[in-house]
Amino acid sequence: MKNWRHNAYVFFLVAPAFVILIGVVIYPFLYNIVLSLSNMSLAHIRDWKIIGFQQYTKIFTEPSQPDFYVVFLKTIIWTVVNLFFHVVIGVSLALVLNQKEIRGKAMFRTLLVLPWAVPQLIVALTWRGMFNYEYGSINLILTQWFGMHPIAWLKSPLEAFIAVIITNVWLGFPFMMVIALGALQSIPHDLYEAAEIDGASWYHKLKNITIPLIRPVMVPAITLGTIWTFNNLNIVWLVSNAGEPSDQTHLMVSFVYKAAFNFYRYGYGAALSMVIFVVLLVFSLVFMRKTKATEAVY
Amino acid sequence: MTFKQTALIFASILLTLIGLGCASKGDGKIRITIWHQMRVDERLILESQLKRFMVLHPEVLAEQLYKETEELRSGFIVAAIAGQGPELVYGPSDQVGPFQVMDIIMPLEDLFDKQYLDGFNPKGLTYYKGHLFQIADKLGNHLTLVYNKKFVQVPPQTDEELISLGTKLTKDTSGDGKADQYGLVWNYTEPFFFIPFMTGFGGWVMDTSGTPTLNTKGMVDGLKFIQDLRDKYKIIPSEADYNIADILFKDGRAAMIINGDWSWSGYQKAGIDIGVAPLPKIVSTGLWCAPMVSPKGFSVNINVTGEKKKWVAELLKYLTSPENEFETAKELNTMPTQKVLYENDYIKKNEILRNSQMQIDRGKLMPVVPEMRAIWDSMRPSYQAVLNGENTPEEAAREMQRNALQRIREMNE
Repeated sequence: MKNWRHNAYVFFLVAPAFVILIGVVIYPFLYNIVLSLSNMSLAHIRDWKIIGFQQYTKIFTEPSQPDFYVVFLKTIIWTVVNLFFHVVIGVSLALVLNQKEIRGKAMFRTLLVLPWAVPQLIVALTWRGMFNYEYGSINLILTQWFGMHPIAWLKSPLEAFIAVIITNVWLGFPFMMVIALGALQSIPHDLYEAAEIDGASWYHKLKNITIPLIRPVMVPAITLGTIWTFNNLNIVWLVSNAGEPSDQTHLMVSFVYKAAFNFYRYGYGAALSMVIFVVLLVFSLVFMRKTKATEAVY
Repeated sequence: MTFKQTALIFASILLTLIGLGCASKGDGKIRITIWHQMRVDERLILESQLKRFMVLHPEVLAEQLYKETEELRSGFIVAAIAGQGPELVYGPSDQVGPFQVMDIIMPLEDLFDKQYLDGFNPKGLTYYKGHLFQIADKLGNHLTLVYNKKFVQVPPQTDEELISLGTKLTKDTSGDGKADQYGLVWNYTEPFFFIPFMTGFGGWVMDTSGTPTLNTKGMVDGLKFIQDLRDKYKIIPSEADYNIADILFKDGRAAMIINGDWSWSGYQKAGIDIGVAPLPKIVSTGLWCAPMVSPKGFSVNINVTGEKKKWVAELLKYLTSPENEFETAKELNTMPTQKVLYENDYIKKNEILRNSQMQIDRGKLMPVVPEMRAIWDSMRPSYQAVLNGENTPEEAAREMQRNALQRIREMNE
């Protein structure tokens, strides 16, 4: 009887959060699955019906504008390159800021976190202006300081893709830096002292102490970063002005956005979003398992 | 804390929340909400008009809510299909097509008497599939040639005059081989800004059956003309989106800009002595460059019923009354839809409004069919590819047509 009362009490406390979870996560997710199996579109918004896996077949077999496989490949490249630079720059800066000898740490920390603190809309539009061919500061620096030819950042597909990556790298490294700094500060200092007594070099300390001990914190951060970057709509959409040039700067999410909200292809858009979900789910599971992120280190 | 005490606290919180949720903000009043995508200056005028309406009709609570264009459309679709949403939705006429197909706005001809509707310029009443679905308070959303009077005394009447004037006004003052001032600028990235060139060479976006007509001589010649302005005559920058074009004009580094009626008051506030002129005529075709013209107005949510319908109609009538339209026109230089105002001295004598009216008369009404979305989206990448030098005008026109047909097919699946 006491056990039942205890369970009911716990259930009662959890219930409000669970109801909200059903409303904002579980129900929309299940509804999205149903939509992805339907023909809901502009012409069938009220009389839609289940048509099986036709929308999925369309995604993988029918030609689209832009091409699904090209967009998918670009999204993978976008995610990998961004994450690589986020982690490398973020962890490197965290290692520097973690040094005892550095003066004015608080000021540097604040300055380095700034990109993260500025609203994405402002960041994206500012960078878009900076990438302008004639008047952008980047080309002015390249031409006037380095004597280089101006680069058509937003007019050519490759350069436009590089431009959005640069913007997102600038925007994303502070998150990794803050996480890495927190992890570094939690490493007991006597481990380093013991290593020093044993004659360990800077590299050996990094490899055998720092990296293994920040891994449990960094792996979930990288997983989260991957999901955020893969699903990033704002930066690509705003810097490339909705896919410029010529719809060649799209990622999976902007592809979904166009299908669902520009062309009212709700069934197709829902199926595309399920493809994204499965890709990210598989990645997260494999990554967590391979990196043994959930295992205890101490 | 015991189980009973906790339960009591939760129950109290829940009841309070339910109580707050159920409490009517309008205090028994009839609540009418308008969703719109108006600019700040337009919004302020709407707000004062709503306040005046509520003084006249204390039983009504009229509220306005700004939403960005795409958010407004998708939000209204979701809400109206679920039987909810604002009573009135305001925007350019091209939203009428998709809203009607989804059956989320109601026909208006039975809601208003003939005498009231006869007072409008026919361009301000948007009919689709034989029914009236939108009543506009402003006509336009149209592009014109805006010029800085410091540089341009007499605006060009033809494409030849435009090129000749543009060449004189494009200057390299620093002597570094790059232009410091351009004759003309506009937003190259949006095909909406290309429409006047296309129509000037005899092209149009679709035929009367709604089939895209993008692979035409008019399209190809329009694209070649723009290429020439940039590469042959060099009177426009090599790259410009809306913001860059706008800044160049505001900074006095561009003598003329092709921009819409929404931008004029901003230029005046920036201290530029502007003139507004209709876009020039293309000499080789004898056609005026005709921008798209679209009324902006109100549609009524299909879910409005009973007594509320009467008040929604009353509010709509009030907002589109000659007095209120005149207030907006005077403040923002927008073209009213009430015919009686065309005889008003202020409007007749105002140079900007007079030229705006001329441009509207020469313009072409924007189609309201949902397929327009597919056409815009098919034009955009190929148009940009021509301006980037990646594609020829001929191939771009073929691509636009092919893609538009495919997208329309997909939309109607």
